Amino acid sequence: MATLPEWLRPGARPVSLLPQRATAHRLLRRTLGAMGRSISLLVREPDGPGVGALRTADPRAKLLAAVGLIVATTFLRGLLPLAACLALALALSAAAKVPGRRLLPVMIAVPLASTALLLPATLNIVSGGPPLLVLWRSAGGAFGPWRLPEVVAVTADGLLVAGRMVLRTTACAALALLLAATTRPQRLLGGLRSLGVPQAFVMVLAMAERYLAVLLRSAQELHLARLARSVAPIGVRREEAWAAAGVGAVFRRTRSLADAVTLAMVSRGFTGEVRLLRPACWRRTDWLLVAAAAAVAAGLLILDRRLA
Amino acid sequence: MHIPDGYLGPQTYLPAWGVMAPLWSWASARLKRTLSVRRLPMMALAAAFTFVVMMFNVPLPGGTSGHAVGSVLVAVLLGPWAAVVAVSLALAVQALLFGDGGITALGANCLTMAVVMPFAGWWTYRLLAGSSPAGSRRRWVAAAAGGYVGVNAAALVTGVLLGIQPLIARDPSGRPLYCPFGLGVAVPAMAVSHLLVIGFVEAAVTALALAYLARTEPGLALADQTAEGPSSRGLRRLGLSVAALALLSPLSLVLVARFGGGTAWGEWSAGELSRLTGYLPSGFQRLSSLWRAPLPDYGPPGAEGVSVVAQGVWYVVSAALGVAAIGAAVLVLRRLFTRKERDGHAA
Amino acid sequence: MSGSQGETVFAVEAVRFAYAGQPLCLDGVSFDVRRGERLALVGANGSGKSTLLHLLNGLFFPGEGRIAYLGSPLTEAVLDAAPFGPRFRQEVGFLFQNSDAQLFCPTVEDELAFGPLQMGWTQAEVFRRIEDTLALLEISRLRGRFPAGLSAGEKKRVALASLLVLAPSVLLLDEPTAGLDPRSQSLLLEILEALHTRGLTLVTATHDLTLLPHLADRVLVLSEEHRLVADGEPEPVLADTEMLLAVNLIHAHSHRHGRLVHTHPHQHVVAHEHVHGHHHEHEDQAEPKK
Repeated sequence: MATLPEWLRPGARPVSLLPQRATAHRLLRRTLGAMGRSISLLVREPDGPGVGALRTADPRAKLLAAVGLIVATTFLRGLLPLAACLALALALSAAAKVPGRRLLPVMIAVPLASTALLLPATLNIVSGGPPLLVLWRSAGGAFGPWRLPEVVAVTADGLLVAGRMVLRTTACAALALLLAATTRPQRLLGGLRSLGVPQAFVMVLAMAERYLAVLLRSAQELHLARLARSVAPIGVRREEAWAAAGVGAVFRRTRSLADAVTLAMVSRGFTGEVRLLRPACWRRTDWLLVAAAAAVAAGLLILDRRLA
Repeated sequence: MHIPDGYLGPQTYLPAWGVMAPLWSWASARLKRTLSVRRLPMMALAAAFTFVVMMFNVPLPGGTSGHAVGSVLVAVLLGPWAAVVAVSLALAVQALLFGDGGITALGANCLTMAVVMPFAGWWTYRLLAGSSPAGSRRRWVAAAAGGYVGVNAAALVTGVLLGIQPLIARDPSGRPLYCPFGLGVAVPAMAVSHLLVIGFVEAAVTALALAYLARTEPGLALADQTAEGPSSRGLRRLGLSVAALALLSPLSLVLVARFGGGTAWGEWSAGELSRLTGYLPSGFQRLSSLWRAPLPDYGPPGAEGVSVVAQGVWYVVSAALGVAAIGAAVLVLRRLFTRKERDGHAA
Repeated sequence: MSGSQGETVFAVEAVRFAYAGQPLCLDGVSFDVRRGERLALVGANGSGKSTLLHLLNGLFFPGEGRIAYLGSPLTEAVLDAAPFGPRFRQEVGFLFQNSDAQLFCPTVEDELAFGPLQMGWTQAEVFRRIEDTLALLEISRLRGRFPAGLSAGEKKRVALASLLVLAPSVLLLDEPTAGLDPRSQSLLLEILEALHTRGLTLVTATHDLTLLPHLADRVLVLSEEHRLVADGEPEPVLADTEMLLAVNLIHAHSHRHGRLVHTHPHQHVVAHEHVHGHHHEHEDQAEPKK
């Protein structure tokens, strides 16, 4: 080996560093956290036996039940049926032992975000109706082409509209999470396979999910390498350039993997026609689950109609 | 831009699924014809790629951060029909496998991010890029414009989908059942944030990623340089159909406003339908009684009738202005670039 | 196993090959592979040994020269037609260097089922084969697992299982031990040894010279000029330091013994060249351009 340059020898004086600033890392760490969570969800291994009856049910049954309930929820109008639906989703999550670290972020973020978004909807200017709590009164008048409202107030109608939206979005999110948290992605795909979804589509979806883990890992490596070397914020312009280069690098890997996978498939006899394993037969509990979900959905809809 | 479950009523998300179903089958048929079936893995990998692109966060002015959608980038690299399939799959993985929600709204989300966005972006990009070589500055700018136009078109459609909710679904007392903000709020809210900030992120990521690839992979073949891109005749037809759609969509709203005076959209009673079409299929009579159970007769907005028309007119005007503005910008840019290139040749 | 001992499995005649738009990658290569043989292709990075395996598997086709399998020339048209195409795919298995590319199914079970289902076997038969193959390689516990969550050694074994489930008579192995820890490496070598004693023909591409005695009875050396420069038993080939130096498989290395400095040819043996672990992609292979 050639002789080492002077600055690489032991005991060389370090070049002075810029002061480290935490802001440079916050976004990177957040992105890395999200990627790590996604990867761990993808490579999650089968749960031990006996952890919640919902986990062992057939994925097709769970998919039908969850989608049925979510669709029913979007038809509900009354606060009470919506609250009942949310309570049901939470009770089922507890019964299925959905871990709190998965449930809590969603159950905090979704209602908070919808509340923030829907706060203006509680006002008379959006929802109309008699005022309940007057926030602001003015003489009216005009501002350019806009007419200023004379009264800004929270109304009962507005509260109902916003409350309905917050409850509905939260209930739907809880149900979607319940499905995803109790069913491994791979089994859910098996479920799609026998619900009339074309096999080629299922295969592509499964493969997308399979390689998502691989591509996420390389994106994670890019972010880690960046985190290891970043000292101070580099500005939006360069952040964008860095992200774009990262996206480009991931695309190159995407293409080389696609070529390699194609060869691997052809090598094992793939000629273009997709053939997959037949999934297992339905058991009585699976039918029961779907029937129960249908009954609950119908019950909620009838309750909703009665109350209206 | 992801619409979660609960913001769109069934009157909107069901038709969105209905629109997507033929588009998906059309897209996969086209892909089957243009690229060998053996290239199935490319679709899967492109979907995974789109998902990963959405995870790259870029800081935005004001301390927040955003991410690119990547639909236009996928369209530029692999063709718009490939983007339809790849982005749809990425959205499906997010909604179903990760439990991020948006299961009922998946059709609508695919419509905006997997159809409107890649096609609007692709169309702009093709118009501007012409037949310039892969690494050229012109192509780079065309990709940026494509990203910007694509994401804004998608935001506009998202705003419209959200904004028509209070027009078409109200409870008996006239209160909105789903997204309570009308077109006058939803469209500007979506449009302004995307026109001013998010559009530039998408533009930058699309263009810079393309520039990076052109630099690191000199042999890179883009979608319009291979068989996967539509021919120029196909492009013209596509342009015409987009223009027709842009003209027709406000018309549908006018129709809603016209008939909406009596009943909200999607809730024509059997009687009104028979009046409209002149006859009533016998099966529909039975079906309509079933249909009406979960979909109650939402009361007409009553006094709001005027505002429906007003909002409809507002939308027609804004959509026409938007389409005209985008079209003009594209034409001006194109003229500028062709002239510059001609000058370049002369020099 | 089908076929009689000693018959010619592959006949490679004056093959020249280049990926589209790239320089020549195999230049006039000729050799035969006989039934029951253990053959190793060695050469420095980029010498074309991996490409040669792809050609033997009928994934790419030579620009000049020809390759025959059991007397029938391997061409795109022949491989697309039944019964030769499916039979060839069933009889010749290819273990890719990148396990991530080879394991493309959602679970290990689906992975093993893929090949047999392409052959059109019944579901019951497929399930029976999967069970037996998993038991044979002692990986039954991995059946429901997700390939992305497996270790490098487990991935390699699952990939091998996905080939063995088809009962192949020839295995093409591309750097089978690269990136494996010593334990997984010796486990894999044991399995390959057992398969060979049961009559399988093995063709291995490697640049790990320490493995040659375990992997091969015959060694072919590819030079950096993409030509075949040696063909013989491992010992004489490994003893030919001049030739190995010339093809850059070993390099002259100077080091110190006490106060004595001397220079001698050194087998630069790196068992784990790809130290970045199982999820790292190796992009040193030239990509096929369409």
